[in-house]
Amino acid sequence: MAKLTIPAEEYMYPGHAACPGCGAALAMRLLLKGLGPRTIVSMPACCWTVIATPYPTTALATGLLDHPIEATGASISGLRAAADAMGLKDLEIVGFAGDGGTADIGLQSLSGMLERRTDAIYVMYDNEAYMNTGIQRSGSTPAGAWTTTTPVAGASHGKPEPKKDVMGIVRAHHPVYAATLNPSFPEDFLRKVERARGLHGPRFLHVFSPCPPGWKYSSERTIELGRLATDSGIFPLYEVGEDGVLSITRRGGALKPVAEYFRAQGRFAHLTEAEIAAIQAAARANWERLLRLATPPPA
Amino acid sequence: MGRQVISGNAAQAHAARLARVQVVSAYPITPQTTIVETIADFVASGELPAQYVKVESEHSALQCVLSASALGARTYTATSSQGLLLMHEVLHWAAGMRAPIVMGVVNRAVAPPWSLGSDHADTMSQRDTGWIQFYAESNQEVLDTVLLAYRLAEDPAVRLPAMVAEDAFYLSHTFEPVEIPSAGEVDRFLPPRDARAVLVPGRGLRLGSFTGPVEYVQFRRQVADAMERVPAVLRNVEREFEEITHRHHGGPLSTYRTDDADTVLVTMGTATTTARGVVDQLRAEGHRVGLAKLRVFRPFPAEELRALADSVGRMGVLDRSFTFGEHGAAATEVRGALYGAPRRPSVSSYLGGLGGRDITPGLVRKVYRSLESGGSELPTWVDLLPEEAPAHG
Amino acid sequence: MLEVRFHGRGGQGAVLASELLAHAAFLDGKWPQSFPFFGVERRGAPVTAYVRIDDRPIALRTSITVPDVVVVLETGLLRTVPVTDGLREGGLLLVNSALPPELIEVPIPVRTATVDATGIARARGLGSPTMPIVNTAMLGALARATGVVSLDAVRGSIVHVPAKPRENREAAADGFAAVRSGEGRHLPVARRAERAPPLPEGPIAAVPSSTLVTSSWRTLRPVIRLEKCTRCNFCWKYCPDDAIELDPSGFPVIREAHCKGCGICAAECPPKTIEMVLDAGARGGWGVR
Repeated sequence: MAKLTIPAEEYMYPGHAACPGCGAALAMRLLLKGLGPRTIVSMPACCWTVIATPYPTTALATGLLDHPIEATGASISGLRAAADAMGLKDLEIVGFAGDGGTADIGLQSLSGMLERRTDAIYVMYDNEAYMNTGIQRSGSTPAGAWTTTTPVAGASHGKPEPKKDVMGIVRAHHPVYAATLNPSFPEDFLRKVERARGLHGPRFLHVFSPCPPGWKYSSERTIELGRLATDSGIFPLYEVGEDGVLSITRRGGALKPVAEYFRAQGRFAHLTEAEIAAIQAAARANWERLLRLATPPPA
Repeated sequence: MGRQVISGNAAQAHAARLARVQVVSAYPITPQTTIVETIADFVASGELPAQYVKVESEHSALQCVLSASALGARTYTATSSQGLLLMHEVLHWAAGMRAPIVMGVVNRAVAPPWSLGSDHADTMSQRDTGWIQFYAESNQEVLDTVLLAYRLAEDPAVRLPAMVAEDAFYLSHTFEPVEIPSAGEVDRFLPPRDARAVLVPGRGLRLGSFTGPVEYVQFRRQVADAMERVPAVLRNVEREFEEITHRHHGGPLSTYRTDDADTVLVTMGTATTTARGVVDQLRAEGHRVGLAKLRVFRPFPAEELRALADSVGRMGVLDRSFTFGEHGAAATEVRGALYGAPRRPSVSSYLGGLGGRDITPGLVRKVYRSLESGGSELPTWVDLLPEEAPAHG
Repeated sequence: MLEVRFHGRGGQGAVLASELLAHAAFLDGKWPQSFPFFGVERRGAPVTAYVRIDDRPIALRTSITVPDVVVVLETGLLRTVPVTDGLREGGLLLVNSALPPELIEVPIPVRTATVDATGIARARGLGSPTMPIVNTAMLGALARATGVVSLDAVRGSIVHVPAKPRENREAAADGFAAVRSGEGRHLPVARRAERAPPLPEGPIAAVPSSTLVTSSWRTLRPVIRLEKCTRCNFCWKYCPDDAIELDPSGFPVIREAHCKGCGICAAECPPKTIEMVLDAGARGGWGVR
């Protein structure tokens, strides 16, 4: 029997209300495996508000606090302040927010939390649109994606603008740790969560979160899509320490073509070969930029 | 510390210090800033061993103390005007979460146009959020009411947030003698927060949650019931406070020379002090006038008003804000409270002191005069200047 | 006035079915009103939608508690959702099932009709194998079983369907042709009085969600051929529902009550020992109580 490569303990209960194949549900499960029971999860309006199940049930074996969508950064600052004031030791404070709640309406509060050096982990689970409200584009929706507010009809051909670089914004605040995580790579995911857990100060985790109904693919392909996203350079895995050193944590051989990833999703079904080629070029450029930033530079 | 000459804002800060608040978070806005500056000094000097979180907006300030409160901490924040409006969403959250936050509010006009003057439009816009609302008349009352507010808010029968409002400049930046109680006195009155039913590290509890319509109504009703229990708890708390400090501020509706009055004016905040002087003058001149200070606006002291109305012929309400399309907010509520009363005096609505206009003795006299000559069905803007006739040429 | 209540699962098209029925009734010259109950809009989660049909403007804006017709898009919901609650005497229960009406277990004596809408949807290529979209077949069956709308009007309403209009029109006609009417098999259940539950002071939830059951969300379920299992635990590692346990010797065990049938375990199993099979009748339901 193979040894377990991630902790056996579970702090997310089954019976939750995520859609079948939900990347965000797996992300929470893995995150809490790494953080343990003495965690308070601070949660804005997002898919997980519903996933955590209605009163009187809860899907987490840890503390869970609801709050308005734009307030995650402020909430985790307050939780940490209370823990410090009350002498609550070994308590991990985690903000768990979607991409809309982070990249758009919650950006100010995130920036505030990073700037005031709150000792907490901010997790952005990125399903690349406002999924809880029914698939509207967010600042984190990638170029070309169909959403209900970037339809494919008439003059509209999906989202024209590229995805907001939240990691770039976060890195400009010089957090003690920032990393990209992908539940398709659970060992890398857990290593990063455990590294973040061992640090004090603002930490940021950008978690890739495939969404079967929002991205229009069949639920069993969630893990496969996650792997394709990373291996084609669409969602590279890396981490940045307090010294600013950026390390790429998954570096296979040559990048896979992006077409395989894009063609697997209904939200990109309308893209022409030329558009995919442009996305391919952008992904390649992004990857090479990352390689230049990475230390040590690749051989 | 005995009696010191301090500002209303300093009174807020001293009260927070004496309450041994554990987490403070605020964002600067004129004229609240000296509250948070004074608290910053207390924290820096070690007089107040609190966590002080400097945030990037008022929305974040209130969320910060709300989350801290959810973990069981005693918390304080302060704001004014636009800042309070930005907090509006979180005000609802705080009451629904049953978080006993105490907040100082400096009543200031709402833009546009920009104005720093005293005006109650900011807090009146928050009256439906489930917060207890106090309006203070003096710096002493500010300090004492913040302490009372903690006891009341944290009472197991209440567990609701409370705001203690003071008029911009007339209190916030006015220096006058204030008796500052000793730490021992306050500790006797205000024990550490009993933080039951909050998030507990290591336990699978969800605070906030979401529900279907059935439980939603139940939870809303809990907030309403808690608000209903405020008057009784406040009575006890004020009595205990009086035993320790020998000060009592007169309950939710504090009356002055109303016993044999046939004309009573209802005021809030600092207008009360000036009006009290006018009542003395008018009494000396033979007028049977009295005064009632709305000290607690939420929960609204309807019972006290009905009792007062029983012996009064005419009432007027002087509001420092206007609810567009209706009357002054307090006037509307006074009328509502008296609708089912056995005796219903006429209730006239007067608007004055908006945007920091002085409510002068002359103006108050004008209001009493208007009342004694029958009052008015329509709201009267008492300090509007007549416009100059346009020049023709 | 006639009142119809739809019960389905997120992704089956129950809400769209209610809208289509309204459009169809309008085409027949009636005054319709349709609306969904806004709850947990999750793929697989129970969904309710309502339609009223009258000859004149409808002076009522409430959910439907005493329906004339109940349409159930998924057999599993019969056991997990009180679908027949309030169903009017002489009303009709229409169920998506390949079984004859006499084999449908119902908690009150009720006229029952069945139609194999899942089979029709699969045959017409509507939806995916795991989530066939059965709404138009059900509407065709509803037209025949109740006469509240004509088949022509149902077919006409399909201009409002976002995809495959021809296949959907055919599915409606198939449903119309295939529906069977009879009496359900009466299995009485005790009713509970409507009471508000005792609440803590403040909205604090403390009951683990593992007390809920999500098996009714699935259409497919995983079957593990343990003799080929290498105990690599990939299925456990990748399960977003924490619905796979490892037994003491490291073999995976599906938590039947919680598996939503996403198929990730089967897709990720290196030796391909897991097969997703059609779940004949999901047991238990997802609900608070």
